[in-house]
Amino acid sequence: MRPFDYFEPATLPEAVSLLERFDGRASILAGGTDLLVEIKERIRLPDHVINIKKVPGLDYLSYDPVDGLKIGSLATLHEVETSPVVIEKYAGLYQAARELGSIQVRNRATVAGNICRASPSADTLPPLIADNATIHTFGPDGERSIPMEKFFTGPGKTVLLDGEILTRINVPSPPPNTGKVYLKLGRRAAMELATVGVAVTLTLDGNECRSVRIVLGAVAPTPMRATDAEDILIGKAISENAIEEASQAAKDQCRPISDVRGSADYRREMVRVLTGRALRMSIEAANEGNSPFDISTDQTVD
Amino acid sequence: MTTSIILETPSPTLGLIPENGLSVVHTSPPRVDGLEKVTGSALYAADYSFPGMLYGKILRSKHAHARIVHIDKSKALALEGVKAVITHADAPKELHAGSPAPRVGQMVADQYVLAEKARYFGDGIAAVAAVSEEILEEALHLIEVEYEPLPAVFDMVEAMKPDAPSIHGTERNLVGPPFIIERGDVEEGFAQAETIFEGHYETGRPVPCYMEPNACVCRWDRGGKLTIWSSTQCAFMVRGILSQVLGIPAHDVRVIVEHMGGGFGAKQDLYQHEFVCAILARETRRPVKMEYSRKESFLGGRSRHPIKITLKQGLGKDGLLTAREVRLVSNTGGYASHGLGITAVGCLDIASLYRCEKNLKIEGISVYTNNPIAGAYRGFGAVQAFFALETQIDEMAVASGVDPLDFRLKNIVGDGDLSPSEHHILGDGLAVCLRRGAEEMGWYERKKMGRNNSSPLKRGWGVGTEMHSSGAYPDIEEQSNAIIRMNEDGTVNLIIGMADLGTGTRTMAAQIAAEVLGISLGEIRVIDGDTDVTPFDIGAYASRTTYVGGGAVLKAANHLKKQLLELASERLECPLEDLSLIEGRVFAKNAPNEGIAVRDLVSGEGGRPPRTLIGQGNNEPTVAYSFGAHFAEVEVDTEIGQIKVLQVIAVHEIGRAINPVAVAGQIEGGIQQGIGHALTEDFIIDKKTGRPLNPSFVDYKMPLALDMPKIKTIILEEFPDPSGPFGAKGIGEDPIIPIGPAIGNAVYEATGVRMRELPITPEKFLKAFAET
Repeated sequence: MRPFDYFEPATLPEAVSLLERFDGRASILAGGTDLLVEIKERIRLPDHVINIKKVPGLDYLSYDPVDGLKIGSLATLHEVETSPVVIEKYAGLYQAARELGSIQVRNRATVAGNICRASPSADTLPPLIADNATIHTFGPDGERSIPMEKFFTGPGKTVLLDGEILTRINVPSPPPNTGKVYLKLGRRAAMELATVGVAVTLTLDGNECRSVRIVLGAVAPTPMRATDAEDILIGKAISENAIEEASQAAKDQCRPISDVRGSADYRREMVRVLTGRALRMSIEAANEGNSPFDISTDQTVD
Repeated sequence: MTTSIILETPSPTLGLIPENGLSVVHTSPPRVDGLEKVTGSALYAADYSFPGMLYGKILRSKHAHARIVHIDKSKALALEGVKAVITHADAPKELHAGSPAPRVGQMVADQYVLAEKARYFGDGIAAVAAVSEEILEEALHLIEVEYEPLPAVFDMVEAMKPDAPSIHGTERNLVGPPFIIERGDVEEGFAQAETIFEGHYETGRPVPCYMEPNACVCRWDRGGKLTIWSSTQCAFMVRGILSQVLGIPAHDVRVIVEHMGGGFGAKQDLYQHEFVCAILARETRRPVKMEYSRKESFLGGRSRHPIKITLKQGLGKDGLLTAREVRLVSNTGGYASHGLGITAVGCLDIASLYRCEKNLKIEGISVYTNNPIAGAYRGFGAVQAFFALETQIDEMAVASGVDPLDFRLKNIVGDGDLSPSEHHILGDGLAVCLRRGAEEMGWYERKKMGRNNSSPLKRGWGVGTEMHSSGAYPDIEEQSNAIIRMNEDGTVNLIIGMADLGTGTRTMAAQIAAEVLGISLGEIRVIDGDTDVTPFDIGAYASRTTYVGGGAVLKAANHLKKQLLELASERLECPLEDLSLIEGRVFAKNAPNEGIAVRDLVSGEGGRPPRTLIGQGNNEPTVAYSFGAHFAEVEVDTEIGQIKVLQVIAVHEIGRAINPVAVAGQIEGGIQQGIGHALTEDFIIDKKTGRPLNPSFVDYKMPLALDMPKIKTIILEEFPDPSGPFGAKGIGEDPIIPIGPAIGNAVYEATGVRMRELPITPEKFLKAFAET
């Protein structure tokens, strides 16, 4: 591995000033599960690595009905996937977290790191965007909050400015009769990067779709909302026809590439199939007020 | 994943086991080297370090086919900590075959240590030695290579066209002459057929992902002798080829293989680093360690041969096969490696399995392309050949309205029929496996629930069979050797030439010796993997270790036992034939309470030094066949194209299980790899540039624990072979062979879609499903 200088700032302002000083030649280390691999494979060659794990007050995961879920930038995926409130109220995020990487990776990797890496196939992004999450940052000019939907600009690229650090993710509390699903397509049951990811957060009013957000992963340079599909459903009665029409619209709107994990045509077709499945599952969950996943089979020993 | 093991031994044993039964063989004691492995104290090649040691690394070609015009190593050499940079100009100009020498005819000497021409993307073209791995990385980037890119060819059919770029200067890029088998008159056979079936079958490019990436450490002593610690299945082959290429006698090369993290056949070959490391160490006069990254194990490793098979068979009115015609083309990549051997074995295998002895015509061709090297991999040619044959047999059964199991039972080879090596088969092992598996799963009662339900999830069962030789005969005249030395306290050192690549060879060998000598496993120390110490052995491959090597141990132990009994006969004044050796004591059969402990026979006494007794065993059998049938149940998601294997019933007839748990481990592992071959594993090479697209575990997908089905393993000992130790035959390669066609045939039963190309990816399946 290429050598680098290593820093452990004790406060956020100290971390920010280091980032400013090294002007683009420094990388932030939180979980390190992506960063260290990328340094070893010479994908990224930072001269300086700034470990923010010594900064106090970033490793929380909290919930209250007014502000919703708050995920500190050092909260790990393991903390998220084992949190009762996440399992109960953020089923899409729960499913994304538990299917990300391996147990060893989830014990170290952070949700914030998954977001800042901005991979088009990152698992936690679609459900968080479907849940209308907000990202909070701290930088040279103080704090900012950014709707997560607007955070990504391309593969590996975000709106974060030089010197800015992601500090918190805020996810609103779901209204009653809301169903959430994240479906990930890979070749294996675990240790996969999504070929296609589909997140749905849907709220019912009787048989009517009061609101729905459908977010697709790995089929565009960034996670993308399937807005055409959402428009077909919002304010209308739920029907099998509407679901199929919406699934087709999602397929038509996505912009996948072909790569070793799947062809563009296959990805498009899978967007249709998985959007349909995710909608049906989320409708069922919204009706029952339950998580669509059987959480009794938690895979802590896989 | 849950697994269960059933071991079934019928009573007649052909006199192959002792009258009073077996006490150590046929049991599953903990491995003799288990403790050091689980405690982490076992040493692997890369664990060796020496004072002053350097690290070496290979610079790999960025072109699939290119002449190396110039390499400027000055900047790399100027970097502090770099001790040597070598290119083709510094390496011996000696062509070698990369694998079993000097005994085998089917290898082609077409490799230089470092060539002036890169023949695949990743071909090593230079190497560096430096004081740290970090400096190595930087130094590799400082070597400037001027390439002259040449037209490249990746498709094996394209490569045979007259205008294709020539890779080694051979006609039509053929590795050697076609392998031909002709029996009877194939046209006459087709004329007799009521129906003729013809199909094209193709297999992918799976890579043996052994746990331990290739590694070696080289050290020269002042006398000019090289010691190499390497992860190899064939220590004596490494010695032979290194001695040839380096121009030094065999006794000046010592190859040590302590522990290994797998090889699966690929580590039969000498890889570039083993030569380069020795040269760097000689040039720098310091020990050098070279360790492949996982990526290098893909780029510079050995894959299975992708093979295209055109198979045509005739079926008579009576439901029997009348003719078989096969054309098999094998893509060996940039160098021959085992290309000719695999082609030959594929042809010999597809000549058998189903009776068609009268009218047969088979042609096998091995072709160079600018792909990474394909080499030996568990199931050597058989995996590809039997996938084609077992798929078409299923098609024939379905088309003629006969149950696929009944069709098989009617045509399968049995006792007295011709085996792939043209020996007569001993026993109806295939029929027995098929019947036993069918009984276990309830074949005739099963619900064919696949095609008519409305759910997108369809289930079905399929069956595949295989037979495999124990040993490499007729490719290689088989031979193994063992030496067993009794110490003055009655313990023994068992010295074997075979390597233990993680399969349990040491335990197997110790069990056989313990059984014969009537001592416990704890009284045996197995010494192996050191060419200065052990007798010659061609290596651990070809399902030969237990059958050939175990047989040598049996002979050596019997030889030692004979000497012990002769000593005891003198001492006890009792005729030889009246003596028994049990639990470390020799006694007259009619006086079991008197007698003498083995220890007292060999220890010195009364001023006389202890005796050294040495037993020697040389074993040169021809071949025996193991048989197997796998029954697999799959669930196919017909909307997304994914196939899940739900359960496998694996039945294997292997004569005798020396260690049943080790046998079951081989079977379960073979099923795991076979599922990978069938569904997810494929090393993908860019068709335009030849660049490997998934040389890592991120995108090369082996099945993991959660992907594994429920497995029931049934080990049968119906037909022990008189040429194997206690009747034992091989198991190493067998289980990877029938699982692929079993899965393909199950997909057919579930969905009505016939998949003739492996791996069955979701996209391939959906395309075929849409067309039916």
